[in-house]
Amino acid sequence: MSEQKSNETRQIALQTARSTNQRIDNVVSSSLARFHVSHGVGRMILLTLLAFVIFTIAAPQVFLNPLNLQNIAITSPEIGLLALAVMVALLTGGIDLSVVAIANLTTITISTLYSTIAATDEGLADSLGPVIVLVGFVVGLFGGFINGLLVSKVGITPILATLGTMQIFNGIAIVWTGGETLYGAPAMLNTVGTGAIAGIPLLFVVFIAVAVIIAVIINKTALGSTILLQGANPVAAKFSGIRTTRTLMSTYLISGALAALAGILIISRNPTASADYGSSYVLLVIVIAILGGTNPTGGFGTVLGVVLATLTLQIVSSGFNIVRLSSYEYAIAQGVILIGVMVIDQVTRNRQRSAVLKQRKLKVQLQAKDSNQ
Amino acid sequence: MSNTDSTAPDRSVPVLEARNIVKTYGGVTALKGVSLTLTSGHVHCLAGENGCGKSTLIKIISGAERPDSGEILIDGVSHPFMTPKKAIQLGIQVIYQDFSLFPNLTVAENIVLTSAVAQKRKTFSLAQSRPRAHAIVQELGLTLNLDAYVETLSVADRQLTAICRALINDARVIIMDEPTTALTHTEVDRLFALVRKLQARGVALMFVSHKLEEALSISQDITILRSGDRVSSGSATDFDRRSISRHMTGRDIDESRVINPPQYDERPVLEVHALTRMGEFENITFDLHRGEILGITGLLGSGRSEIAESLFGVLPAESGDTTVNGSKVHIRSIRDAIDAGIGYVPEDRLTQGLFLDKSIADNMIASSLDKYRMKNHLLDNKRIARTISVFFDKLHIKAPNVSAPVRSLSGGNAQRVVLAKWLANQPQILILNGPTVGVDVGSKEEILTLLRAEAAHGMGLIVISDDVPELVSVCNRIIVIQQGRLTSSFTGDEIQVDAIQERMSA
Repeated sequence: MSEQKSNETRQIALQTARSTNQRIDNVVSSSLARFHVSHGVGRMILLTLLAFVIFTIAAPQVFLNPLNLQNIAITSPEIGLLALAVMVALLTGGIDLSVVAIANLTTITISTLYSTIAATDEGLADSLGPVIVLVGFVVGLFGGFINGLLVSKVGITPILATLGTMQIFNGIAIVWTGGETLYGAPAMLNTVGTGAIAGIPLLFVVFIAVAVIIAVIINKTALGSTILLQGANPVAAKFSGIRTTRTLMSTYLISGALAALAGILIISRNPTASADYGSSYVLLVIVIAILGGTNPTGGFGTVLGVVLATLTLQIVSSGFNIVRLSSYEYAIAQGVILIGVMVIDQVTRNRQRSAVLKQRKLKVQLQAKDSNQ
Repeated sequence: MSNTDSTAPDRSVPVLEARNIVKTYGGVTALKGVSLTLTSGHVHCLAGENGCGKSTLIKIISGAERPDSGEILIDGVSHPFMTPKKAIQLGIQVIYQDFSLFPNLTVAENIVLTSAVAQKRKTFSLAQSRPRAHAIVQELGLTLNLDAYVETLSVADRQLTAICRALINDARVIIMDEPTTALTHTEVDRLFALVRKLQARGVALMFVSHKLEEALSISQDITILRSGDRVSSGSATDFDRRSISRHMTGRDIDESRVINPPQYDERPVLEVHALTRMGEFENITFDLHRGEILGITGLLGSGRSEIAESLFGVLPAESGDTTVNGSKVHIRSIRDAIDAGIGYVPEDRLTQGLFLDKSIADNMIASSLDKYRMKNHLLDNKRIARTISVFFDKLHIKAPNVSAPVRSLSGGNAQRVVLAKWLANQPQILILNGPTVGVDVGSKEEILTLLRAEAAHGMGLIVISDDVPELVSVCNRIIVIQQGRLTSSFTGDEIQVDAIQERMSA
């Protein structure tokens, strides 16, 4: 009888030990998993630092010159916002090729409105600055709305829909400007473009603030979750009751809004507008979005990764300038960095996958052993 | 066809023998010294839960993988360097679940083409080959339209085509992976009749199957694997359903009928009246009470799945009324259905039910995101985490933690994640289509227990399945769909496996 009792207590002790073990396991592996999630970001931090260190060593006097660093901080924001615009579309498994065209439509709208009003009354034009900028923003947002309509309602493949709208927006911009560069922008934009807080250019502050807002939308709201789920598996998203049309429409509206903001930053930095501004940006911002860890098939990506990727490529660009390498060599570098990171990614992913499988098989075996005993 | 002339094949030397096969993948042992013998004219059943090493063993026998140690003997001769090509030359044919046919070619072309390729013929003449295909179809007494394109065939006919193709390649060993999963009751009978003919021709067959009763009824020998070990083997007469599942899982599985009485409120939670979608189902009328589990069964293509998809708004009905809790609802989209309090665990778990690369947590919350929106539009992450951990524990999901991707889970655990997703949304009515398909025996039992518990808490459940014993064990009521019409309904003591199966295929 007593033997039976001691046996029982032993059983209970064993069980509690086992469940405690399980709990410790859970804590350890969940913290490890968190580390894995930020793995993409960690990689980008390394890459950014690496680029920084390389050019610091190559040309310390010029590269570390505050003027050069400020220059990086001034040119990054517009590219960063365009890359975030592409990233948001990529998250749903789509893409937005029209972001640069939208940004240019915004700058052209702002410049045209301003010059038209300023031709009669410059003071009025400047005092109407906020309204003019808002109109420019709305034009960009409307561009995003057209994309959203085509992708979500009509159901056109995003790459084709936005290729089409890119051509349309571009065409409108060229016809509108006659292919010429427009001059003039509200004075308030100039303040933004040249201002600084504690030595940090205002443009960069705006960029970081917008990036934080996008990060919050993606990670902390229901909309962000549905965007990620839509990209991970559109069929399962539909079967889970996610409103596909609404999600995609919101996605391209956000993308259009970011492109419009990028346009506002462009015209703030330099009060001109032209239809062919940033014609090399389209592919560059896609490279940045992917380099920043966005999964090109959708469902995964971090804002921080894209911000860091923007900085990395701007550092490389500026560094190439300093050591007097051409923009063609910079293009080669872009490609090499992208492919290099992809290769490393693929290798580690394969390794991770086999590790997961191994763990699973081991676990099955352990369970089998347990039940045998 | 080497054995056509000898009606009484020599059974002293086994056609194929696997001896002490060991296979490891990167330090993990998938097979730990498994031996198996296939005798000509015998059907050998290979049983085991998912991940027990069945597929690895098939791959090794067919030459797709090489064992670390152990040997494969064919007619008593060892073949240490087996390749898929050599295996086919030696007469070993594997018929996989997808049959590997060319959908854009005709039945005759499919039957003959691979053997023509194997003989390295430079030209291919359909006129010459059609008689060969015709001969084999005639010989087996099959009714197959040789000129039909494979893409237009039913699953069962595709399978017959694959079997004919195997035979024209002089197959002496035919290994069939889950041959009955996609077949209806009558089609299974037809397949088994064919299997007996093949046996008479001296072909050695191996069935890899989940469905234990069928496996038992057709097999002479049985081998059961568990975690890469051969846990039991012997003559089929020495086993019954219970003992096989015990060997497979290492414990006893209870399949007895356990049901709770439903709550007969004033009005049922769901009333469906004259639901119709032309060409798919017509005039379907039934109701469902709180706490009730209603089974809907029927052959594949009878309309049973379409009724469910219609109630869930995937394929909206063309006419008929749906009433939830006494108020009429118009279900035009999935969202309408969810808003009306209906949840749906789809048949195709991998594409419709799960976000495979997303974490367990993300999957669980996918349907109920709106419930966790705070006033400032942000998600209430604390409450979400609480919900997730509640369901993770309640459903006994076996995973290291909730951030593990669903892809890393077994079929049974993945299905629990889909269930959790819907339970988290607290639907009044949950429709489950094939809830235990591809789920191992142990998980199946646990899932059924969960369904009973949800019913006991007042949810109304509809289970759609062609696994009649499963329906019998959980359902208060079972309705049978035949060619889009509700033809019979079983309640109380009428619920018997045999009676229902008879009705289904009548």
